[in-house]
Amino acid sequence: MKKRFWKWALGSLIAIISFSCLSLMGNQNSVKAAGEPTYQIGTDVTFPPFEFANSQNKYVGIDIDILNAIAKDQGFKVNIKPTSFNGAIQATQSGQLDGMIAGMSITPQRKATFDFSKPYFESGVVTAVKPGSDIKSLNQLRGKKVAVKTGTEGAEYADKIKNKYGFKVTTFDQSNDMYQDVMTGNSAACFDDSPVMQYGIKQGLKLKIITKPAMSGPYGFAVDKGKNKVLLTKFNNGLAHIKKTGEYQKIVDKYLNGKGGTPMGEDNSFFGLIKQNKTVLFNGLMETLWLTIVSIFFATLFGLIFGLLGVLPNKFCQGVSTTVIYIFRGLPLLVLALFIYTGIPSLTGTKVPAFVAGVITLMFNEGAYIAAFTKGGIQSVDTGQMEAARSLGLPFGKAMRKIILPQGIRLIIPSFVNQLIITLKDTSILSVIGILELTQTGKIIIARNLQGFKVWTIVAIMYLIIITVLTWISNWIKRSYKL
Amino acid sequence: MSQLIKVSHLYKNYGKHHILKDIDFHVNNNEVVVIIGPSGAGKSTLLRALNRLDAPTSGSVIINGLDIAKKDVNINKVRENVGMVFQHFNLFNNLTVAQNIMLAPVELKKQTKKEAEANAHRLLKLVGLDDKFNYKIPQLSGGQQQRIAIARALAMNPKLMLFDEPTSALDPEMVADVLDVMKKLAKEGMTMVVVTHEMGFAKEVADRIVFVDDGKILEEGTPDHMFNHPTNPRLKTFLNKVLQA
Ligand SMILES: Nc1ncnc2c1ncn2[C@@H]1O[C@H](COP(=O)(O)OP(=O)(O)OP(=O)(O)O)[C@@H](O)[C@H]1O
Ligand SMILES: [Mg+2]
Repeated sequence: MKKRFWKWALGSLIAIISFSCLSLMGNQNSVKAAGEPTYQIGTDVTFPPFEFANSQNKYVGIDIDILNAIAKDQGFKVNIKPTSFNGAIQATQSGQLDGMIAGMSITPQRKATFDFSKPYFESGVVTAVKPGSDIKSLNQLRGKKVAVKTGTEGAEYADKIKNKYGFKVTTFDQSNDMYQDVMTGNSAACFDDSPVMQYGIKQGLKLKIITKPAMSGPYGFAVDKGKNKVLLTKFNNGLAHIKKTGEYQKIVDKYLNGKGGTPMGEDNSFFGLIKQNKTVLFNGLMETLWLTIVSIFFATLFGLIFGLLGVLPNKFCQGVSTTVIYIFRGLPLLVLALFIYTGIPSLTGTKVPAFVAGVITLMFNEGAYIAAFTKGGIQSVDTGQMEAARSLGLPFGKAMRKIILPQGIRLIIPSFVNQLIITLKDTSILSVIGILELTQTGKIIIARNLQGFKVWTIVAIMYLIIITVLTWISNWIKRSYKL
Repeated sequence: MSQLIKVSHLYKNYGKHHILKDIDFHVNNNEVVVIIGPSGAGKSTLLRALNRLDAPTSGSVIINGLDIAKKDVNINKVRENVGMVFQHFNLFNNLTVAQNIMLAPVELKKQTKKEAEANAHRLLKLVGLDDKFNYKIPQLSGGQQQRIAIARALAMNPKLMLFDEPTSALDPEMVADVLDVMKKLAKEGMTMVVVTHEMGFAKEVADRIVFVDDGKILEEGTPDHMFNHPTNPRLKTFLNKVLQA
């Protein structure tokens, strides 16, 4: 009975893995099969009204609509990759992406590493404060904190004038977090692009704008310097053409002057949010589970190999094991993920799909932990067991397999189940490389509706439910094996 | 009186510590040799050199004509003929009593499963525990575990049995059961090297007693010589201590 269960479990795991490999390959094939060229374009999906996911979770916004209009006009296809702004910058530089459109201002500094299209939008930085605040000008910010979002014009503006006006800068990765910081009173004000700010306030954001747009900056479509000339030319030609036909103006009006793409009238009550987003949330959850299963499989293989290497009676093998564990346990998961996703392509020139990069990241990190406790578990088996086995004439390998491993593995099962739960939680960090798992899904929903508190509550509850189920299962396993 | 064990100029160091110093030692076929000496003297180290659980620093350890101090001998083959019984039994905790006994003969292709099973029954009868065939290890008392450990070592049909304080970890009422099994083995002509503090056993069963202190053999001889006419002053002190206790 017990044996059959493990056979079944192993069989289904292998089936899952091979299926996932096939489907990964399938994805890449379908992209290549298209007749028109398809470009991978990065964007920051949390930057309405330029790019955000609408209530059907389709990517829309001024940038996206312009890009799609140009693509149609010029006869090419685009595949929008939602990452963070910084993620898109790195992925474009490393060749993971062909270009990016993300409300990106054309600056001399960026021109050093990117080639830009002709400007397609003129923006400017405005200052916003809490409605009740008595701050009316930049002069009153002395000694206070100002919130900005990394990589934006607002951040640059803040940097430029912070000494003159004597304020401190706090940096955020997500617009919503920056707004929240002002609304809670942590920061006295925030700097953001005027259309973004206007859009947010129209969404019910409790902030008011106190300055005129400063440092007006043109937005451009960017490619890695010296590469993708053809794409850039197509973009410029298309832009000129859609301006002539009036389509350009229609798009801008739709987002800034009309109600078109804005998700006004969404039901932002707790249950309304669940109802409205249940499909995307469910998909996000599935991606999280999928990522966890595939990752823990490879992490276990990785961990067993390097854990066992660590208990071989050979200095070299032990050294390799110790070093691998030291490196991958020592690296923060976030750094490792960004290194694998953006660093490896810059070194080797081959793209790594985000999901694969995510699995590799978790394989190394969780695998190092598994290796460490596998090694520890085996070493904690009484040395007398090995001596007794060897004294009978059993070779090291046989003694290991028949006597030491069965006892060691029993000892590590609780740690292993624990690691499974940690892995599930750690998948959330992979939202930085744009994997659409549960946390990233939450970020995207919030970028649209700015309902940070409620959406994070929903996401947190979903994580808790899954982890509770896992904990029950693990307790059941521990009980039935009397661990 | 052919020699089964011949140890010459055996040294063992742990770092700077000299644990065994120039040991010369031999055991004849069918002989029972008991090693005595104070704690930390190096008795276990000497015993464990006889199946290379502790590799010698220098010198030779010839077992059945083969110098196991040399790196190139197949030590597993030698160990098949040298059974060992440990102070803390070291029965395999993940296996049953029968599996403990049958593992090595079957894995090393000495016996078929059927033969091993019959053999296990025979050995369990010999140590008086045939009813425990399918027991798990934690269900047994210390004395029972040690007798099973003896059966496990005997399952390989060894030419030589090594015992390292087999009764030191046992409650007093269980010591006799284990010693009885060992006496039975001695009577059947098994060659044995026994480290023990059981002076009664030494007197009754040993053909020869070896006194080890400070990494050296200071005196050896028959039980009569060792107990009634000892010459080495350290042996005299040692005997005074253990016989009074
Ligand atoms: N692995 C080791 N590393 C360092 N020193 C050791 C090691 N094993 C044993 N020793 C030392 O060698 C000396 C002899 O140890 P050994 O176990 O042979 O003594 P013993 O005569 O069996 O003593 P006891 O009656 O207490 O079992 C002791 O001083 C011990 O501390
Ligand atoms: Mg000892």
